[in-house]
Amino acid sequence: MTVEDLAKLVITACEAESLDYMMTGAFAFGYYGIPRSTKDVDLVVSMDVSDALTRIISRLAPDVEFGSLVQFDTLTWGRRHIGRARANPPLQVELFELFDDPFVRQQFVRKRQLFSSQLGKTMWLPTPEDVVVQKLRWGRNKDLDDARDVLAVQGPDTLDMPYIGNWCALHGTTGRLQAALAAISKM
Amino acid sequence: MTNPHENPAALAELQDAIYREKVVRARAMTPDQRFAAVFELTNSVFERMHEGAMWRLKTTDPQAGWAEVRRQLERLIKAQEAGYYTTTKPTPP
Repeated sequence: MTVEDLAKLVITACEAESLDYMMTGAFAFGYYGIPRSTKDVDLVVSMDVSDALTRIISRLAPDVEFGSLVQFDTLTWGRRHIGRARANPPLQVELFELFDDPFVRQQFVRKRQLFSSQLGKTMWLPTPEDVVVQKLRWGRNKDLDDARDVLAVQGPDTLDMPYIGNWCALHGTTGRLQAALAAISKM
Repeated sequence: MTNPHENPAALAELQDAIYREKVVRARAMTPDQRFAAVFELTNSVFERMHEGAMWRLKTTDPQAGWAEVRRQLERLIKAQEAGYYTTTKPTPP
């Protein structure tokens, strides 16, 4: 199984269950920044349809084994479901439940539908501004590098910087934004 | 040319040049090409990890190689995510 096969399986399952989703992680970052490899297919999924997540997990069951334990991220306490591909390579699927956080909600509402020739279908991604805000909010070293890279590749002049700045002020990450912008000032 | 590893300023300049090159290359790609590159890089990295695992185990059994890749990834994920995820949400006092 290739990572394309796995991504198509997960997206097709969401579509079949009429579940709103957006791809995040390395795929969203790669679309706007500097492509890198990944070990997982990450999706944020809407919880508006009752039992939809359970149905997605059972639809994927022949190909992906999901653990019974839900995990919580320690920054926002968002819920994450982890599955591992049954076939090799041992890729991971991570389904993040959309939850009641003002930024996460707005990021999801602003998502964009784009066509991928690699997947041969359309899929939903966050905006580049929302990728930057999210990465700066997480704040791990690799997230800060990712935020800097999206700013560098897209160019701050093409991005809605007041939008990014407003969220960073609310998240207390203005210093991280300034550091990322300073790092690309010579580009 | 001096060895940049003996000169911090030269090393920083080299690192900046390498980073600029990466950004320029990414800017020259379309978003769809960059998106496709994530898939291609991922497939390629897994192939190399598999080959490396088989070589280290001195085995010709592909399944043994994949089992080793799986084990390595589980350890890597555990290390990378330590402190960022938990299976128990704290209850308010």
